[in-house]
Amino acid sequence: MDTTQLLKGVLDLAVLAALRDEDGYGYDILRRLRAAGLEDVGDASVYGTLRRLFAGGFLNSYVVPSDEGPHRKYYGLNAAGRAELQRSGKVWHGFASTMDDLLRERETA
Amino acid sequence: MNSTAQDEITEYVERVRAALADLPEATRAELLEDLPEHLAEIRAEDTVTLTDRLGTPEAYAAELRATAAGFVGGFPDPPKRNGFQPFLDARADVVRVLGHADVKVGPLIGYPRASEFLSLLRPAWWVLRGYLGAMAIAYLFDDSGNQPGLLPRVGGSTLVALLLLGLCVVASILVGQRRLATGGWRRYALNIGTVFLVLFAIGGFFSADSDVRDPGYSDAGYSGGGNPYDYITDVFVYDSQGRLVPGARLFDQDGAPIQMGNAYCTDPNTGESWHTRNMGYPYCPEAAPFGSPAPTPTDPADAAESAVPVPDDGPSAEAGVEPVPTATSPSLAPPKPTTAPTTAPAR
Repeated sequence: MDTTQLLKGVLDLAVLAALRDEDGYGYDILRRLRAAGLEDVGDASVYGTLRRLFAGGFLNSYVVPSDEGPHRKYYGLNAAGRAELQRSGKVWHGFASTMDDLLRERETA
Repeated sequence: MNSTAQDEITEYVERVRAALADLPEATRAELLEDLPEHLAEIRAEDTVTLTDRLGTPEAYAAELRATAAGFVGGFPDPPKRNGFQPFLDARADVVRVLGHADVKVGPLIGYPRASEFLSLLRPAWWVLRGYLGAMAIAYLFDDSGNQPGLLPRVGGSTLVALLLLGLCVVASILVGQRRLATGGWRRYALNIGTVFLVLFAIGGFFSADSDVRDPGYSDAGYSGGGNPYDYITDVFVYDSQGRLVPGARLFDQDGAPIQMGNAYCTDPNTGESWHTRNMGYPYCPEAAPFGSPAPTPTDPADAAESAVPVPDDGPSAEAGVEPVPTATSPSLAPPKPTTAPTTAPAR
């Protein structure tokens, strides 16, 4: 099974989760996801997802000037984003436990 | 952040934009809006180029396209069909096939993607482009009519060739590093120039290939290949006094006679042409390129006077007390100019 296929379905949720505790800019969020174990996630996926979530009204964004290097565009969860994280999180847990059960049944059977 | 990185980002974004050309304009604008800033953040993280870090712009665009599919904010407009659509579709197909080949071929040569290997070859292409550019310049500006060979010789000068070659290679490398001539119309000019160079290189390659396989006839004659003995029709031998030597014979180091020219003479006034009666060179003495300062050796008296005391006159002269010279040395007598002074080769 290819994790990149799985990732496609949960990328929104993963990005929302990465922003739950702390705002971040694009590359920063990519690093968080990879550090969390999603090694296969690509920069374009994170960037595109951020754009999409922002356009959907789930994120706010602001620019932070940087002394060395370019300005950075930070993203953070707004109220709608937090609500979406919670809702999607529940869906995922339900889905994941269903899959777990399914696999366990097959393995014990 | 320097201008090199800025140009790199701009070009990367443009290629991503091109690869997403078939998306609805609103979606594309939304996706690309922050891309330059985002890439600038990434570029600032370390010194690796964007392509090395993120893969090709086309691959990046493909990934971006996948995330755009389920846009939460909704970009529902179906793609507008317009006259360019078939071309854009075809291009998208080509890009997809190339991307597929990229990933498939890469592992065969030990790289994740073939394009990663190709981008390593980029500096080699810069050097090759410099060489091709120099060759093209030499080809256009050299009017010496000689074969240029494999160096960009102008006027047959190897020194000029090496200077031109060095200059073009350095310029090409600078262009490759985007220190020269990037952005806007210059990039189009560069691309058109590259297409021209590639065509020129293909033509030059096959021409050089056929020359090596079939060097042609390069003896004195009709090769047309810059041989200095082409077009010789007659040979004129002058002695140390500047006098035309009639009936001269030429031999090579093995004693084999050297035959060149053709044995027909043409009268420049009447255009009449006839076979020469002379056995040696010149075939056509009247066509001698230089006039002789001394009287021509066809006059026997003059030729004899300029030589040793004349044995022929011996018997008839009153002072000829001694008949010895005539009797004993007929072979020492200077050759009679009326007979051809043939020179036997010393074997």
